[in-house]
Amino acid sequence: MNIFRHYKYVFQMQFLRNAGFLIFMILIQILVSIGIVIGFTYLIPVPDTNAILFLATGAPTIILIFTGLVILPQQVGTAKSDGYMEFLRTWPVNRAVILGADTTIWLIITVPGIVISAFVAHFLFSPGYDLSWTVVPALLMIALTSIGVGYGFSYLLSPTASLALSQVIVFGALMFSPVNFPMDRLPEWLQILHEILPIYSMAEIMRASLAASTFEATGGNYINLLIWCVLGYGGAIFILNKK
Amino acid sequence: MVLDVNGVTKVFADRGKNKLVANDNLSLHINEGEIFGLLGQNGAGKTTLVNQILGLLTPDHGDIHLLGESVLQSPARARSICSVQPQSQVPLGFLTPKQAVTLMGKMRLGKKFDPKRVEILFEALDMNKWANKEGEKLSGGAKRLTAFCMAVIAPGKLVILDEPTNDVDPVRRRYLWEVIRNLTNDGTSVILVTHNVLEAEKAVDRVAIIDNGKILTQGTPSEVKRSVTNQMRMEISLASELDMEIPSWTLSSHKKGSRFILSLDPNDISSAIEWAKNQADNGLIMDYSLSPTTIEDAYIELTSKKGDE
Repeated sequence: MNIFRHYKYVFQMQFLRNAGFLIFMILIQILVSIGIVIGFTYLIPVPDTNAILFLATGAPTIILIFTGLVILPQQVGTAKSDGYMEFLRTWPVNRAVILGADTTIWLIITVPGIVISAFVAHFLFSPGYDLSWTVVPALLMIALTSIGVGYGFSYLLSPTASLALSQVIVFGALMFSPVNFPMDRLPEWLQILHEILPIYSMAEIMRASLAASTFEATGGNYINLLIWCVLGYGGAIFILNKK
Repeated sequence: MVLDVNGVTKVFADRGKNKLVANDNLSLHINEGEIFGLLGQNGAGKTTLVNQILGLLTPDHGDIHLLGESVLQSPARARSICSVQPQSQVPLGFLTPKQAVTLMGKMRLGKKFDPKRVEILFEALDMNKWANKEGEKLSGGAKRLTAFCMAVIAPGKLVILDEPTNDVDPVRRRYLWEVIRNLTNDGTSVILVTHNVLEAEKAVDRVAIIDNGKILTQGTPSEVKRSVTNQMRMEISLASELDMEIPSWTLSSHKKGSRFILSLDPNDISSAIEWAKNQADNGLIMDYSLSPTTIEDAYIELTSKKGDE
């Protein structure tokens, strides 16, 4: 099949082209995710198990947001400004194949950080992980949403604008999003905003699959992610095919 | 016929509603196994035309057919028929030339791809010493050659080369032209986009000169030259940059530093040589040469004539 053949070689091309950078990113991701679990406990004077569980189940979401909405847009911005994006568009393959191969690479980057930080958190704090069978599909769905939305806006916006937006997102996701603490601590207007934005739904779904006996996600959360995911990838493919 | 461009017009509008006519009713066609030169200054509309041939841009008017089928209807097909070397450098990152070229070959041909072709190609361009060096560490010329190899390793029916010899050293330029010529022996057609007119003259079968989005003239290099003039040109290196008296048989002249170029009627050749020899004997000029009009002269004549209007 052409599609599989194309996927294989596009993947290899993109992977090898970024090899050095990818290894570096994997290391950073591991450090960041361990850092979130350990570092945030310093913010709380006497962290109870509940707070630690929130942090431990929030860290993977932060990693996925960080990858999809911050690092990826920066990479796309660079590819746009140095002409690589234009070159990609001349390849004799379906553009969705390029997007698929790139998505696989981003997924590979995030997995080690998430797994290692979960182990570290478990051995240090035993916060009460309770893995549900949904963990793999949930991780995949959150990752795809994050990556898809990242592609969508970084293809749509100029490199400078998407860089600025990604800076706002990293700050907003860490400090003003119900990822590492419960939603009800936020002011009401932010709560309403987070009902629409995908970050809250990502966090809820992640928590529900990592600690199934403590948290649960609503159907609304899944629908929210699905919509954002489709919007993101749809937008990215639209821009790639645009003339 | 491999490519048929028919009445293509492309207009870009920027935010200030200024309209830029990048391509203005362009028509040309390219036959099998032909090297076609697309000459023009920066911003003449060459790359815009190329992007439309590849289906990356849609013409506002007109149509483009590749092997008899419209590009508008199947842009994906256009990308598999054409292989391209872009004008800008391809950022290879950590890819080595060998990896990049091999993967591109496999992407195009799959299992039918013969990795030996990469070795043959690298040998022909004398670039084996870079074959396994990371792209980031390569010189500009080596990167450019790698991008060239990516375009020709498994060529489609039409290879589009946008300024392929930029940054490439003179020796390897020759090898590169040989590789291009060999491509056409297998029936592949080549579009050579360039503003390096002198080089193109030797390489192309036919040529079109584009200026401000319009084709000023097209044909074989000698047809293009004849369309402008049958004059001779004399090129002189002056001993100093001082102005010298222009001889009476001169039809037109221009001076760039110590380089002085005169055009003359073929009937005046003997008086011109006599004059030049005298000047040289008196030490006023270093050396001189006489040649038929080059395509560069035609090019400059055509593009500057337009500017005077």
